[in-house]
Amino acid sequence: METATVRRRDAEEGRASAGELTLERRADGKLWALRGDAERVVWVRRCFPWSEPGRFVSLRDEDDNELALVGDPAELDRASRRVLEEAMAAAGFVFEVTRVMAIEEEVEIRHWRVETRQGTRSFQTRLDAWPRLLPQGGLLVRDVAGDLYHVSDPGALDQHSRALLWAFVD
Amino acid sequence: MPTDLHNLQNLPNVHNLDAEIVARYTDQPPRLPAELRRCIEASWQGAPVQLYALADLDHALRLTQVWVALGPGCLAVARPLERGDEWAIESVERPRIEAVREAPGLSASTLTLLGRPGDPPLAVLRYSHRQRRAFENLKFVLEEALEGRPVAPPDADEEYAASVARSIRDAQALVAGRRVAVIRRLLGYLAPYRRQLTLGMAAATLITVVSLVPPYLAGYLIDRVVRPAQEGRLDVGRAGTIAWLAVAAMALVYLVRQAAAVARLRLMSVLGEWVARDLRAELYEHLQRLSLAFFSRKRTGGLITRVSADTDRLWEFVAFGVVDVSLSLVMLAGLGAVLISLDWRLGLVMILPVPLFCWAIYRHGEVLNRVFLRVWRKWSRLTDVLSDTMPGIRVVKAFNQEAREVARFVGHNNDVTDEINRLHALWTTFWPLLMLAVHATTIGVWVLAVPRLLGGGAALSAGTFVSFLLYTTMFVGPIEVIGQMARTMQRATTSAHRVFEVLDTEPEVTDAPQPVRLEPVRGRVTFEHVSFAYDGVRQVLRGVSFEVAPGELIGLVGPSGGGKTTIVNLIARFYDVTGGAIRIDGVDVRRLETGHYRRQIGMVLQDPYLFHGTALENIRYGLPAASLEQTVAAARAANAHDFICKLQHGYDTVVGERGHTLSGGERQRVSIARAILHDPRILILDEATSSVDTETERQIQEALERLIAGRTVFAIAHRLSTLRRASRLLVIADGRLVESGTHEELVAKPEGKYRRLYEMQVELA
Repeated sequence: METATVRRRDAEEGRASAGELTLERRADGKLWALRGDAERVVWVRRCFPWSEPGRFVSLRDEDDNELALVGDPAELDRASRRVLEEAMAAAGFVFEVTRVMAIEEEVEIRHWRVETRQGTRSFQTRLDAWPRLLPQGGLLVRDVAGDLYHVSDPGALDQHSRALLWAFVD
Repeated sequence: MPTDLHNLQNLPNVHNLDAEIVARYTDQPPRLPAELRRCIEASWQGAPVQLYALADLDHALRLTQVWVALGPGCLAVARPLERGDEWAIESVERPRIEAVREAPGLSASTLTLLGRPGDPPLAVLRYSHRQRRAFENLKFVLEEALEGRPVAPPDADEEYAASVARSIRDAQALVAGRRVAVIRRLLGYLAPYRRQLTLGMAAATLITVVSLVPPYLAGYLIDRVVRPAQEGRLDVGRAGTIAWLAVAAMALVYLVRQAAAVARLRLMSVLGEWVARDLRAELYEHLQRLSLAFFSRKRTGGLITRVSADTDRLWEFVAFGVVDVSLSLVMLAGLGAVLISLDWRLGLVMILPVPLFCWAIYRHGEVLNRVFLRVWRKWSRLTDVLSDTMPGIRVVKAFNQEAREVARFVGHNNDVTDEINRLHALWTTFWPLLMLAVHATTIGVWVLAVPRLLGGGAALSAGTFVSFLLYTTMFVGPIEVIGQMARTMQRATTSAHRVFEVLDTEPEVTDAPQPVRLEPVRGRVTFEHVSFAYDGVRQVLRGVSFEVAPGELIGLVGPSGGGKTTIVNLIARFYDVTGGAIRIDGVDVRRLETGHYRRQIGMVLQDPYLFHGTALENIRYGLPAASLEQTVAAARAANAHDFICKLQHGYDTVVGERGHTLSGGERQRVSIARAILHDPRILILDEATSSVDTETERQIQEALERLIAGRTVFAIAHRLSTLRRASRLLVIADGRLVESGTHEELVAKPEGKYRRLYEMQVELA
């Protein structure tokens, strides 16, 4: 496995240097990483999904070995960056909660009904599984199936949602 | 959002329960819509849907419902159209699918079906983790087919519902029955103690009834004795006699009341203990009968809580909750009737606010619950710091982080204190305010009564008024109980659900109606095309066949996760096969009497478990009647006798949980002695020597050699050198038997899997 931080495109020459990494989405639907003559199918994983979501992206091959570590997508050429950002959006997808409609307790589990940017969703958490307070101030709830629900700014929600979330935020 | 969350009754089987859970707790259908299924099958010329999953995210990662159905020849993707219930169905012939890729993300995965290299993907499906299990099933079946290993089609509806409901079922205790039904079932445990219950209820009723007497007597004395005597309408001597009689009656009433209180408290608390004892015994006995699959689904801590804390909470409910709630209702009704009969106007003033008080107490409980939630959350953060730093204290000290850890603890400690003080602020405000409201009602009674006492309006005697005032003081207790009734019921039903869930779980491994007893067991073990899946359709064993003669030592080798431990679990009948059969001396293991069969099996595991008890008790665990001579002989054979003699209390040293700490190698030798004494016909050694040093390994190896003589042995080992003496080695990889033979035969195979594993270990050594 080779781990390398990619370097910025040589602006003056306007072409890729030998060790430079480019990314492209091909007709087969896969994300391809190209460096020099080598090309590999990769998928992406954010190293700091909550503290630094836009930087440090690990490109991993199909055996889950790291092919390259992109410290900052801005270091890539424009086309690669766009492709990477699309892949990051899919890989970093979580439900974005915009409204909390109900939180009710039952035997051993807590039921949540929320409005998300993706649509309305019901889910369950264990009674002792507390939402995680994120470094940037948001709230992250993990349901029993492992799905994640992100409340980016609990204080900005409507009054009913805030009242329901009151017990879960500091 | 579910409101009545436990009406899962009349559900004939687990599948329906799963479908019910999906319908109730998620926003997705419990099965593939029937109309869509018909359309898909029609487009496949009648071929059936064998397996399906729901992709709940579209390409823009918005929630949607895209169904993916798999048939014998095709795979269909049905996307909803904008209008109505119509679907756009695209079918892909299965031979066109050359590969299946899953890319996992934080909360969404992408499954890509690939055709020929370079061609656009045949389908790209996105879904949340909730659907992942169903998609893993699909992926497994497709990949097995690509490898030329078709999987028998399961019940598609059942698999889908089970895969979606699984995480909720694992997290929650679900039993069939409404809350009322659960309480009724709980009260059923009182049936054997009818006599005590009747006496207890009678005593409690007596307390309620006699409590109503003293205020009445007080009023009677004032109106019929004191005032007539003061006004000269009654002879003083006669008045004195009546008054003393009344005082004596009052004293008798109090005596009777307290005697009844003693009877009630004692009878009901003892009765509650009996019920809790019966529940604990039934629960523990049932837990022992349950299969390993149940224990792998549930957390051990949770199960311990059910036997201890939950049954204790049920004691509280049976001993006090049932009686308190029912008698408080009786008391309120009785007081209401008495007050109205004494004076209906004043009675109404007193009674009308009662529902309001009950509601206020209920609401107060709700508010407290929310604050409790905060306290609980912050409290768990504080205990997290403790459980982090105490075991990791060496790291804290090594990195000189004591000050930071103290600051972290102090911060959380202050948080907890603030929240608890918030709680105190609430209840210390609420109860005085409530009492103020009760007093305000009393003042209202005074306001209405005073003019009437002075002769204005309807007549009101002083005695009636005094009785009335005394009765009003008796309102507070029942109001409090009724106000907290919802919470009492909630707590009891929660505990009852958790207890009944265990009692309602049927063991997955059960004896046949007329089980066979092998006498004696010779130890011939035959695997006939054995397949096994712990969960869903993903098989961990696929068509494994082999035959082992009595007395053979079989080494099971292969990569981790290949299925070796599953094989020994199936031999011990911890689980039943999902396909094929396992025969012991020619008899299907499912026809054997499980208890008798397991007595013929011995196990020595990588991390042997010693129970809290002496070394002697641990060695004799499987054969408590063994003599001391037999025990010492077994310990000698296991190379355990010497170190046991060096312990302060010899064989009487308490080991295991909270006992003398033995090293891994010592515990292993005690467990070997246990197995030797047990004298099994079939012996399973699962990584018995993997976690000890070389010298200890030599001692254990020596002990094992004595143990395995004359038995059929299955030994799993990563260190292949320990299996050189095996009569045969079975190489298990990816759920299949890929090679078998002696060490020499397998090493001689040029491209053999075993040879590769062996060479890698030799290189590393």
